Amino acid sequence: MGVSVTARGLGGALAAIVGPAGVHDAPAARAAAAIDGREPQWVVRPRSLDETAAVVALAHDERLAVVPRGSGAALTLGVPPERVDVVLDLAGLDAILEHNPEDMTVTVQAGVTAGALAARLAADRQTLPIDPAGWHARTLGGIAATAASGPLRLRYGTLRDLLLGVRFVQADGVVTWGGARVVKSVSGYDVPKLLVGSLGTLAVIGELTLRLHPLPEAEVTCFLPVASVEVAQELTAAIVDSTLQPRRVELLDGAALVASGLPVGPGGLVVSFGSVPAAVRAQQAIVTGLAARAGARAETLGPGFWATYDRMLARMGGTILRISTPASRLAMTLREARSVLAGGRDLVATACAPLGLIRVAIGQGDPAALATGIERLRASLAAADGSVVVERGAVGLRTSVDPWGPVPAPALALMRGLKQEFDPAGTLNPGRFVGGI
Amino acid sequence: MALTPECVAELERILGPGALVLTVEGRMVYECDMHTFYKGAPDAVALPVRTEQVQAIVKVCREARVPIVPRGSGTGLIGGAMAPQGGVMVSMNRMGAILEVDLPNRCATVQPGLINLWLSNAVRERGWFFAPDPSSQMVSSIGGNVSTNAGGPHCLKYGITTNHVLGLEIVTGTGDLVQIGGKTVDRPGYDLTGVAVGSEGTFGLVTAITVRLTHLPEAVKTVLAAFRTVVAASETVSAIIASGMVPAALEMLDEAIIAAINAGTGAGYPEGAGAVLLIELDGPRAEVEAQADRAAVMCRERGALSVSVARDEAERALLWKGRKEAAGAVGRLTAAYLLQDAVVPRSKLPQIMREMVAIGERYGLRIANVFHAGDGNLHPMICYDDRNPDELQRATEANEALLRACITLGGTVTGEHGNGLDKCKNLPLQYGEADLNFMYRLRRVFDPDHLMNPGKLLPSHPACGEGFRPRRPVLPAGTWV
Amino acid sequence: MATTPALTDADTLTMLRTCVHCGICLPQCPTYRVLGEEMDSPRGRIYLMRAVAEGRLEPTPTYQRHLDLCLGCRACETACPAGVKFGTLLETARADVARRGRPSAQSRVTSLLFRLLPNPDRLGAAFGLARRYRRSGLQRLVRGSRLLGAFPRLAAMDALLEQVPDEAALPEYVPARGKARGRVAMLAGCVQRYLFHDVNRDTVRLLSLAGWDVLVPRGQACCGALDLHAGHVDAFRERARALTAAFPEDVDYVVTNAAGCGSALRDYGHWLPGSARLAGKVRDVTELLVDAELPLTSLPITVTYHDACHLAHGQGVRAAPRALLARIPGLHLVELRESDLCCGSAGVYNILEPEMADRLLDLKLARIAETGARIVVAGNPGCLLQLAKGARAAGLDLEIVHPVTLLARAARLEMP
Repeated sequence: MGVSVTARGLGGALAAIVGPAGVHDAPAARAAAAIDGREPQWVVRPRSLDETAAVVALAHDERLAVVPRGSGAALTLGVPPERVDVVLDLAGLDAILEHNPEDMTVTVQAGVTAGALAARLAADRQTLPIDPAGWHARTLGGIAATAASGPLRLRYGTLRDLLLGVRFVQADGVVTWGGARVVKSVSGYDVPKLLVGSLGTLAVIGELTLRLHPLPEAEVTCFLPVASVEVAQELTAAIVDSTLQPRRVELLDGAALVASGLPVGPGGLVVSFGSVPAAVRAQQAIVTGLAARAGARAETLGPGFWATYDRMLARMGGTILRISTPASRLAMTLREARSVLAGGRDLVATACAPLGLIRVAIGQGDPAALATGIERLRASLAAADGSVVVERGAVGLRTSVDPWGPVPAPALALMRGLKQEFDPAGTLNPGRFVGGI
Repeated sequence: MALTPECVAELERILGPGALVLTVEGRMVYECDMHTFYKGAPDAVALPVRTEQVQAIVKVCREARVPIVPRGSGTGLIGGAMAPQGGVMVSMNRMGAILEVDLPNRCATVQPGLINLWLSNAVRERGWFFAPDPSSQMVSSIGGNVSTNAGGPHCLKYGITTNHVLGLEIVTGTGDLVQIGGKTVDRPGYDLTGVAVGSEGTFGLVTAITVRLTHLPEAVKTVLAAFRTVVAASETVSAIIASGMVPAALEMLDEAIIAAINAGTGAGYPEGAGAVLLIELDGPRAEVEAQADRAAVMCRERGALSVSVARDEAERALLWKGRKEAAGAVGRLTAAYLLQDAVVPRSKLPQIMREMVAIGERYGLRIANVFHAGDGNLHPMICYDDRNPDELQRATEANEALLRACITLGGTVTGEHGNGLDKCKNLPLQYGEADLNFMYRLRRVFDPDHLMNPGKLLPSHPACGEGFRPRRPVLPAGTWV
Repeated sequence: MATTPALTDADTLTMLRTCVHCGICLPQCPTYRVLGEEMDSPRGRIYLMRAVAEGRLEPTPTYQRHLDLCLGCRACETACPAGVKFGTLLETARADVARRGRPSAQSRVTSLLFRLLPNPDRLGAAFGLARRYRRSGLQRLVRGSRLLGAFPRLAAMDALLEQVPDEAALPEYVPARGKARGRVAMLAGCVQRYLFHDVNRDTVRLLSLAGWDVLVPRGQACCGALDLHAGHVDAFRERARALTAAFPEDVDYVVTNAAGCGSALRDYGHWLPGSARLAGKVRDVTELLVDAELPLTSLPITVTYHDACHLAHGQGVRAAPRALLARIPGLHLVELRESDLCCGSAGVYNILEPEMADRLLDLKLARIAETGARIVVAGNPGCLLQLAKGARAAGLDLEIVHPVTLLARAARLEMP
């Protein structure tokens, strides 16, 4: 099937913006860029923010559905798309624009990967403490748009807390700035908060100004094997209700222990501390004591553990669910999740225990049963205000069950209002988000 | 604009006796908050005690097209809790209950009128506290803190109010009661809580707040360092931050403020120094000891006249009492002042402090300083005699000059006080038309009828008006058929 | 300052302008705590006073009402970082209102009170009548009949009056036990000398035990506190002059055991030229006893201490009474939360504004209940009456005592 006249014209218009090398419409390129099997008409790769804006403006005028893309790690987060006209590849916006070590801030383009940034910051012993699975390869724009996070959020928060300022492209192509370049600002509205986790449905993120933290002088990681998830929850509660200031407190179930190369057992907590050496040692001693009281024998892990853990999480196949429950119901929820979801499948569970944030990876199996399980779990968590989000899953699963879950009607009405205000033409990643937004 | 008798009757019916202020005297005392420069008396002040009343009030005002202005304890500094267009002021201070404390989940749910410090006091014995600690915390309400996204000295380490708000119950401008956010994290959808915090009552009236609680640290050490000049102290601040240390608080006070505080609270700040740094470290004991030592060394290396450590909790408490009451103690220095809240990058602190000295000399005015040096959040108090119109003029010009200097250095207009009526006019220094227009449209989603605290937060600028459209990219012409 | 003060006086205006509207006083103000309205907060009241002073507001009945509701407890002065002397501003504003010839709604009861209370002889006669009123059973009848329901202020007075002890005079001079440290003159007070005669007696004996020669000047009448707080400046000055004349110059200290009186005496210097010397000598009895050598035996009791406003806020005396109680062996002192929040007594406020006073009393009783203590200690007759009334009304088993009463008990001072 040939390319239509209009499409040829649009292709030309796009090429006029980003240069011919920046527009890919060959079948192979389009197939490679497919999202949930839906191929775009063009893959467009701008070289600058202005080019990005022009592309978005054109798409707006021509009512083309635009899906922004960073590393592509989370392209299937959300409802499978009904329309994909342009995949907007932002990997070309990969410049670190400004690093102010004395101010602990950095401004990067959206296509900069977290790994590239880390390498640049290491020389000044600074870090952006954001570590979702496979973070090295993920772009800052993508991490922001999906509000992705990892174990370090316990201590430092997510991009919601670390994004100071953002330059973005509105649906009609207008380049806009929100927030500030300094660590503390309440000027105007807190626009960066609106964009974190918005999945590119309100705007396309172009540049990010981020707050940095110092790398700790020393760090230690302790493994605390436990006899059950209940013990894990109690031990977590003891750690939280103390003066310890851990950087990470991750819960691993039996399967996760195996996958991480840790000693086999029902489960365990892995806790890390970062500070001056004396404080690290002191906290390690305290947590060892707490663990002993819970019947667990603490073991020190090497510094490479977190890289191993990250690789384990990034490589995990199958369906990935993000379950959020109050910390006081962590064990209960883990048991319930296993009971309604596993159904004979492989299931690996990890959690940021003090936050009640669970990540479950489920192996191949009957999708209908899985969908039912997810609905059951959601219903069970509803009273405690918990949620289950399908971070990754087969197309069939994500069409038979809402990957996001229910949002209360009054709040959803406001969200729809926002979408209607900022993308009335519905060209930015349409139909992928909550409530069909 | 006056309220119709029907409107008044309806409000009285909703609120019951003794909860609607209509007297001239009553409305007069509500015509301003702490920033008395901005005055605007409401037509009535409603004092609800229940969420249902708040919702009913909004509905009545919506029908009557009467503006609504929320108020907490009235300690804001930006002309926020006053009614320049009249209307109904809704003071939330009678709704001050702690609804729930949930320590296993590290959170609490409170009504907006609850005084900030009272929440910390309620949980302190069990080892917890509410981290955002604006200097007004002994009187400001949590609702007010949420409204302006308040900061405070300890936000250097712990973050500002928004980093501690998990969820809100809010009556929006359309009169709908909406729950946004909640106890659990990573909820699907847009971060409505995140945009609502700091919206200064323009999105609606907050009727309940779920906040994160923080565990008290193992150890606290408070270091006091005196310097000959403000610039020397500023250089030390920059050095401390650049070294990778994150103190719990890092405050600077100058000579004028020290004299006022010592007279007011007997806090024992070293007299005769040009500037004093109040450095607080908290966390694991060994970390606190190491950081306190390092901070002391850095101070001495930069010429500190003296470096001392608070001996006990009583001494520490007195130092902080002095610091937090500084804004009130200023009454001993001057009857009137203009207060800035700009933030500059920490590395630019010495430069801006030099500029400030120059501006003070140029305009012949005293500028007193007590501020959060650690995050570069300045609070210059430009003193003037309010009976002298010439002095007010000079003070206004000095204020403007200082603000421009801060923005030029890459800073922001307001770090924690908010925009209100006072700072919103400066937003065009920092934001372009497209940016202002975006914010204006954001507000419209929550308050389509523009009844919620009108005239606040955004300036009266064409970009913040109906029908304005920002410029769009110019697209290549004639390339398609 | 010999003339009647006005809000427009230069130093009053300066004081009004010292308030920077920071609001730190609000949570400390009892009426703001109860009503939650800005007009009934110190900041709001100052704002209104300033508006009247600057001619932007007439001193309307509503304005006066907000001033009337103020307890004059001065908790706001303790809180204020700018050093605003609210108590003086309030008294000036009330005097100002009186001067303009528009006295606040003075009921017959209020006028009666002001003719009666500050006049010891008349008061004595009145208490004599009151004693008969109680003993004859008439009080029981009246209370049972609910006749007082229509007269809240009379009802308030009646509720406060539970005990009216028989009269007994104080000796004019009691020498120090052992070698004298110095000479002190004691204020006998008005309500104190009749309703709490034993407190006065214990005060004299303890001071003597502590090594002071104690004078109780004859012919001393009222210190004028009630008139001052109500803004009756001329009447106050008359009483103050009379009292100053009744007290000898050659004493080291002037001792009070009633907080309201002590506070007024310390203010004499502001209102009365030439009385600064007297004012400078004023001490609360606990201040003089706290480091005295007293033979104290064990009292194994649990008590809690209520800070009378005019002792804590009006005179800044907080540590001495506590330290004194701590010296009694076996005594366990439990801190009272919000100990310095007014109990509602505030002079005769609990008679003039019974509703507000009762609400504050409820708050205070709740805090007392939290401590679990059965004995409440307070250094002011008004507080003692108010707390006792509250305990009775709530059916609580509480003993309300003055600090010197416990001291006397521990010192085993026998009843005559």
